[in-house]
Amino acid sequence: MTYALISFLLPLATALIMLLTGSRSAWLLVLATGGSLVAGVLALMDVMSGGSQMLHLGGWPEPLAIRFHLMPVSALLLTFTALVHLLVALYAARSQHSHTERNDYWPLSALLQASLGALWLSSDLFNWYVTLELLGLIAVALVALSGPKAYRPALNYLLLSLAGSLSYLLGVALLYGQYGVLDINLLAEVITDDPTTRVALVLMTVGLMVKGALWPLHLWLPHAHASAPTAVSALLSALVVKGPLFILWLLWSELAPQTMQYPVGMVMAVAGVLALLAGGWASFRAPYIKSVVAYSTVAQLGYALLALGLLMQWGDRDLSVALWLFVIAHALAKVSMFLAAGEMQATLGSKRVSALQGATETLPVAMFAFAVAGGSLIGLPPSGGFTAKWVLLQPIFENPAYWPWAVGIFVGTLMSAAYVFRVVALAFERANPTPADFAPDKVAQWLALLPALLVWGMALFSQSLIVWLTGVTA
Amino acid sequence: MTDIHFYLLIGVGLWALGLHGLLVARYALRRIIAINVMGNGVFMVMVTLANRGDTADPVLHALVVTGLVVAVSATAFALRLASADGKSDSPEQDHQPARPLSDRDKS
Repeated sequence: MTYALISFLLPLATALIMLLTGSRSAWLLVLATGGSLVAGVLALMDVMSGGSQMLHLGGWPEPLAIRFHLMPVSALLLTFTALVHLLVALYAARSQHSHTERNDYWPLSALLQASLGALWLSSDLFNWYVTLELLGLIAVALVALSGPKAYRPALNYLLLSLAGSLSYLLGVALLYGQYGVLDINLLAEVITDDPTTRVALVLMTVGLMVKGALWPLHLWLPHAHASAPTAVSALLSALVVKGPLFILWLLWSELAPQTMQYPVGMVMAVAGVLALLAGGWASFRAPYIKSVVAYSTVAQLGYALLALGLLMQWGDRDLSVALWLFVIAHALAKVSMFLAAGEMQATLGSKRVSALQGATETLPVAMFAFAVAGGSLIGLPPSGGFTAKWVLLQPIFENPAYWPWAVGIFVGTLMSAAYVFRVVALAFERANPTPADFAPDKVAQWLALLPALLVWGMALFSQSLIVWLTGVTA
Repeated sequence: MTDIHFYLLIGVGLWALGLHGLLVARYALRRIIAINVMGNGVFMVMVTLANRGDTADPVLHALVVTGLVVAVSATAFALRLASADGKSDSPEQDHQPARPLSDRDKS
């Protein structure tokens, strides 16, 4: 537990130091996230050998206590959050186009990492409300960093995010009124299927879906993510929308009564397939580079929603593995895609997709990063995206009656291929390439490529990752 | 209908009214007020539920206090964003910021 606390307190301390001293040093943050990553890995090894751990904050006894619960999945997410922050921080420190030089990006992103850490470690309903609010406020502040043009999407994001939290909070209040506990392990022992519980769970689910931008409650996401500075878009798409997903997963796999699982799971799985189609189509049609990537997030979250919905319908715990593999593979691929898109957009001096004409010649490494990350989003073997999709398809292969879901996944895959190849094909039209406004920055392009290489590198240990995740989530 | 049910209904009603306002209103200020109405609805539900036993439930009161802190800070942030957005909308104000600074220098 000590290592997990270090991993989460280190960025918090860094943010406070930056705010108090006025320092906006990029290298301080890189150092802190590096340290946090090491502590995260140690916490993960600790959990792998010793199992889940509990920490009662302030030493209070059971019903009054606020508990931190370090599960294998939360340790994994803690480590992964630090890794993604480190990758993005390295890019932001290097690139001249990230709009992060000596501004509030540095303390805010450290705070973001700390609040995500608190979210992964919490296990009671109200603590999650607080961490969700922290996450939302910090995310909005980060979006607003890109100046007056981003104020409107940021305000819209803030208001919808607050509405989502209040919906969640009303559900929490009803559940507490009914059972008198907030800790989800205690709640799982006493929960019954009655109208109040049903209403409360639906309110919480809707609130979390707004915050997680799960279709059809995703409308704030494309504008907010596309107008944020590049490094921020990467963090928002990779991590922030995954926080509510984590709570949803625990809520429905640990807490919700059996009788509710099937109908809600069905709605979620259908919404997931529709997200794949609608998000994919919007991404294919989007005129701006970053909108393509932002709508692709809406589509890709559809896979996670589908995995969660099918998990609830069939009660097949292996689908949790698919869900978390999707989260990890999508986060790495999306970081790479956003950083590459931002770098190309800034170097070519236009936000439009059409400006990418001939980009394989002007910015070969960044375009390669975009294509490689896109390959994982499509699910080309042996990328991380393929591994996740493989696990998701397993129960469908085993039971022929489930074939309609396979069609949904197949069409979703075609859609992702369409929006990725639209960009890549344009980039290969080298006859009349868009001239670059700035000299292309090789190192920044390689830093954008790094996460995409990692997601393909997942292939090397996908077998052991699946076995381990199956062991810890079942 | 007991007192508790009466206040619970009012709380939920406020929440729904706020949600409606948020979805329908166009002006930033109205939407921010709508969010606050929604929040007060939730707090009212919580305070009412705290009264459901023989003695008041301190945990819910503590949650409401925490919720109020979050609501105040979020509202302040939303108001700042909304006013900044309003300013960036009108082009003639873009030339203004230089003046207050020079005024301050003279005084």
